[in-house]
Amino acid sequence: MFNVFHHYTRGRGHELDGTPCQDRTQYLSCNGVQAICLADGAGSASQAELGAQAVVEEGCALLVERFSELLASADAERTRIELLDRLLSKLRQLATQHRIAPDDLASTFLGVAVAGDHFLGVHIGDGVIGYLKDDELRVVSAPRNSEFVNQTTFLTSQNAAQSMRLFRGSLDGVGGFILMSDGAGESLFDARSGQFAPACSKIIATVGAGVPRRNGNFKFRTQLQKLIDLQVRSATKDDCSIAVLGRTVP
Amino acid sequence: MALKFHADDLVENPTPRVPVTLCLDTSGSMMGEKVRELVKGVNLFYDAIDEDDDAHDSAEVSIVEFNSSASLIQDFASIENLKRIESIDASGGTALGEGVNLALDTLEQRKMIYSNAGVLYYQPWLVLMTDGQPNGRPEELKRAIDRVTEMVAQKKLTVFPIGIGADADMTVLARFSPNRDPLRLRGLSFKEFFEWLSKSVSRVSRSTPGDEVKLDLNGLRGWAEL
Repeated sequence: MFNVFHHYTRGRGHELDGTPCQDRTQYLSCNGVQAICLADGAGSASQAELGAQAVVEEGCALLVERFSELLASADAERTRIELLDRLLSKLRQLATQHRIAPDDLASTFLGVAVAGDHFLGVHIGDGVIGYLKDDELRVVSAPRNSEFVNQTTFLTSQNAAQSMRLFRGSLDGVGGFILMSDGAGESLFDARSGQFAPACSKIIATVGAGVPRRNGNFKFRTQLQKLIDLQVRSATKDDCSIAVLGRTVP
Repeated sequence: MALKFHADDLVENPTPRVPVTLCLDTSGSMMGEKVRELVKGVNLFYDAIDEDDDAHDSAEVSIVEFNSSASLIQDFASIENLKRIESIDASGGTALGEGVNLALDTLEQRKMIYSNAGVLYYQPWLVLMTDGQPNGRPEELKRAIDRVTEMVAQKKLTVFPIGIGADADMTVLARFSPNRDPLRLRGLSFKEFFEWLSKSVSRVSRSTPGDEVKLDLNGLRGWAEL
């Protein structure tokens, strides 16, 4: 069983130019599967925040519903196409509703699901996914920008299926997962060394060790939200988001 | 117990860089007021970058001059390390192709340095300014045009060819810029151009993945002939 924390906050740049936060996070637990997803809306997409919200909701539903099937799939190429089709279908539906193009809803996508003894994950674009394995925080899926820092792949990009990264494995020795957008990564991920900041292990440990209050809320939520809103946000002008699964202490 | 992040719990990534190369004609025809105004414009560009919060940390500028040959007179440096220019001597011919090739070589070397150091960067910019007709080696000119157009087509370079005065060969400049017409400066409006350039560098340095950086070319119409 994993405790969960996810949070997104509007960047200083967007606050200055009056645009909304385009990062979104979501969590879903159903039938013994827990899924967290994160999306970072494209700056050029006029309704990126709507697209990001739609894909984190659809992504969580998708990972929960098809966890066993995805875990057993032997055809990675087909799986990539199927996953992308479902997320794009959601975006096309939303685009029709709002009379805009799917490109106006473009975002990156990061998702991780756990159930029983296994985990699986999906990643398109920048942002980073890591996991705590045998007490060591490791990168599962690194940011993928093009040569230039302000270019990456989105769900609506032509090469989205080819650039989608899929991963799965055993939960043996795994203490938790962390997903973050590039904005949060500015202070939580060292791009030069490819290592996470020490704060990430602390965050996962804190989430895992959390004990729910009588009302079901966790004390760490408020504390972590404050830390993200103040310290992580102050290191960048971009929106910041993180999603964490921390294995509960027996 | 309250959860806290200490300074060493977080990392500080280097600011992504915007490499800008000014490739400037310093041939004999630039002698006098033209080159003096050009120097003023470049210094004003430095000042504007220095005063801009975003561009200050991200812009890195180099200067290649071309006359009868080409030379790097300012290697890439951040604004704090850029020395203001007192004067530039103008003399000799117009080896434009040689100048552009040296500028591109310098840009490639800089990108390599960024990559090796794990520093992220934006698409480089090349500003090409000339007041005459190229009279360097034709094969160097052709090579320069081919390199620039290929990089522009691959979205690996943004190029701004600028003609200074009535004698600038706009046909040759146009061959460097398949997607955007070259600009001819109205009179010696270097100041306005470099002000626009610094604002545009600032806009790029604020951009995030997926942002379309609009370079407000309409803003140039007031002072340049398009």
